[in-house]
Amino acid sequence: MDFDTNNTTPKREAITFSATGSEYFRIWIVNLLLSIVTLGIYSAWAKVRRNRYFYSSTHLAGSSFEYHGNAVAILKGRIAAVVLIGGYNIALRVSPIVGLLMFVLLAAILPWLVWKSLQFKLYNTSYRGIRFGFGGSAKEAYKYFLWLPILNTFTAGLMTPFLHQRLKRFQHTQSRFGSSQFSFDATVGSFYKTYLLFFALLLGGLLVLIFVVFGSVFASFAAHANDATKVGSLLFAIGALYLWMFTVLPLFLTMIQNLIWNHTRLQQHQFQSQLTWGRTTFIMLTNLLGIVVTLGLFSPFAHVRWLKYRLEATSMLVHGSLDEFVAATGQQVSATGEGMADLLDFDLSM
Amino acid sequence: MHADKQEDRATLAARYFDGQTSRLYHVTLSVRDGMAVLAGDIERSCPLGELHVSERSSHAVRKVSFPDGAYLEIADQAAFNDLLHDTGHRDGWVVRLQQSWRGALLATVATVLALWLSYQYLLPVVAKGVAYAIPQSVERQLGQGVLDFLDKHVFEASKLAGARQQALRQQFARLATPGNSTPEHRIVFRKSKIGPNAFALPSGDIVLTDEMVALMPDDEAIMGVLAHELGHLQQRHLTRRLIQTSAVGAGAALLFGDVSTVVATLPPLLLDLKYSRDVEREADDYAITMLRQNGIALEHLAQVFVALGKLDQGTPYLSSHPASAERVERIRAAQR
Repeated sequence: MDFDTNNTTPKREAITFSATGSEYFRIWIVNLLLSIVTLGIYSAWAKVRRNRYFYSSTHLAGSSFEYHGNAVAILKGRIAAVVLIGGYNIALRVSPIVGLLMFVLLAAILPWLVWKSLQFKLYNTSYRGIRFGFGGSAKEAYKYFLWLPILNTFTAGLMTPFLHQRLKRFQHTQSRFGSSQFSFDATVGSFYKTYLLFFALLLGGLLVLIFVVFGSVFASFAAHANDATKVGSLLFAIGALYLWMFTVLPLFLTMIQNLIWNHTRLQQHQFQSQLTWGRTTFIMLTNLLGIVVTLGLFSPFAHVRWLKYRLEATSMLVHGSLDEFVAATGQQVSATGEGMADLLDFDLSM
Repeated sequence: MHADKQEDRATLAARYFDGQTSRLYHVTLSVRDGMAVLAGDIERSCPLGELHVSERSSHAVRKVSFPDGAYLEIADQAAFNDLLHDTGHRDGWVVRLQQSWRGALLATVATVLALWLSYQYLLPVVAKGVAYAIPQSVERQLGQGVLDFLDKHVFEASKLAGARQQALRQQFARLATPGNSTPEHRIVFRKSKIGPNAFALPSGDIVLTDEMVALMPDDEAIMGVLAHELGHLQQRHLTRRLIQTSAVGAGAALLFGDVSTVVATLPPLLLDLKYSRDVEREADDYAITMLRQNGIALEHLAQVFVALGKLDQGTPYLSSHPASAERVERIRAAQR
């Protein structure tokens, strides 16, 4: 089968996700129960079970991914995180000076932890028996997770798109699959364009809402000051505001995710992401509704739906064969960062 | 080789990866004499005891790993389960629980029960323990700055005459307090933009608004209000509430955080209201005991809530305080 080695037309390999909401619900509820009765200790094992299920359900070109994270390592990370975050919260309430000291301490170690967490996450992911990995240096970690964000606060957030591009560039160019490096070529300009479009739409919608909806609400307030329906109309206006936020936010998510993955490669293989605004919004809104109506029992279904959509909108344009990747020489990574990133809800996927 | 025909039925297709390269090998897997045997693109055998089998699942691919990092992917779940069954492999109890709907239903009921029990019984006890364990000096610092903030945004200086303020303070200071210790406190008067109100801060400040003083029918009723607020301080209600809401918040974030932070902020808000009604009853009880000890008729305290009851026409649902009528009822019942 060597006849197509010089063929330049790539083969599209879509990612498929075979997990189902009902199976994840059973895993989730058992995990939840065990986590509660063990006062959270089991949550590290729960995480490993969940990730193993999701990774083994994610297929690319017929092969699935695998998660290798070790629960004891994750538990240690979580304990460290609880101590640090708890300490910070208590310190802040005890006295501003102690709080400030704790803040400086946290700021000093957080970039290192985030870096370690990236390493842990990727090192413990494999595909076709080859592990992923993350390089980078502590110096770079501090630059992208501390100095640039601090600098950004002095520019009133104007640097955010630039910072976002730099972060993604760092993340994607330092990632590797075995000994093969990923690459990233989205420009700062394209990030600014995406952010600007998002803000223009957000503000435009808000202005319309303020003039149309709130205008009529205030008018009805003025007309019948003691009308019982005025509370209803105010609630309606606030509801409309939320609805708009939940409509525009998915647009941003969609655009930025497509931008990032459409400019990421693994050697000669190109990624493609084709999320659409309408579908993203629909899934997010119905998920939210489902969770509220079922008092949370829908959340595993919601999680699978959202993950399935995001993963299956991604594909890889394979140039040549996926058979030629080679494992990198061994590395060991601690999980302290991973547990920390988990608790801080630091989503590194976007 | 002495191929046993009987065991050949358990040959199934698998995909093999050697752990060094991403190359895919198509193989067949069979089990003979306690050994897993691979044939096809690669030939290999390994004792069953050295292999690791991934957990059972209906929709994820099963994997069998070799000690050196090589592994097999098996798509045919049913055939593989039969093969495993023949080798005497048994799933762990957690996996069996996860795979059965009855187990999941049981876990759901147990989870709801565990959450309810810990919210109802465990959390208040823990919060109380923690609140009393925190040194008072630390607790004090918790509330510092709150009064400054309120002074800046909500309050103005009291219009009440200094002599009148002093008289009320002294009258309250003369009263005996229940229990063997009196929490340190300071009574401060403020004119407010939010109407009649009285509350205690963890710093030990009991704030009484001019509007509240005016609303009260007599000074004994004011003593009742102060006793109620002292009850909050004595029982460390604010600190307990702070601990409880943080715990519920952390729990909700763990439950729903994956999907939406908006959803995760609702339960702590709603659940806090129940605690806060319990806490009001506790403070009422403290005030009842204190007034009794000092020979003040409980009817004065009842009049506080009668007066307050005339003010609020709010809904009883989602209310942070028990309904005034209910409180009046409780106080009068204690009087009998």
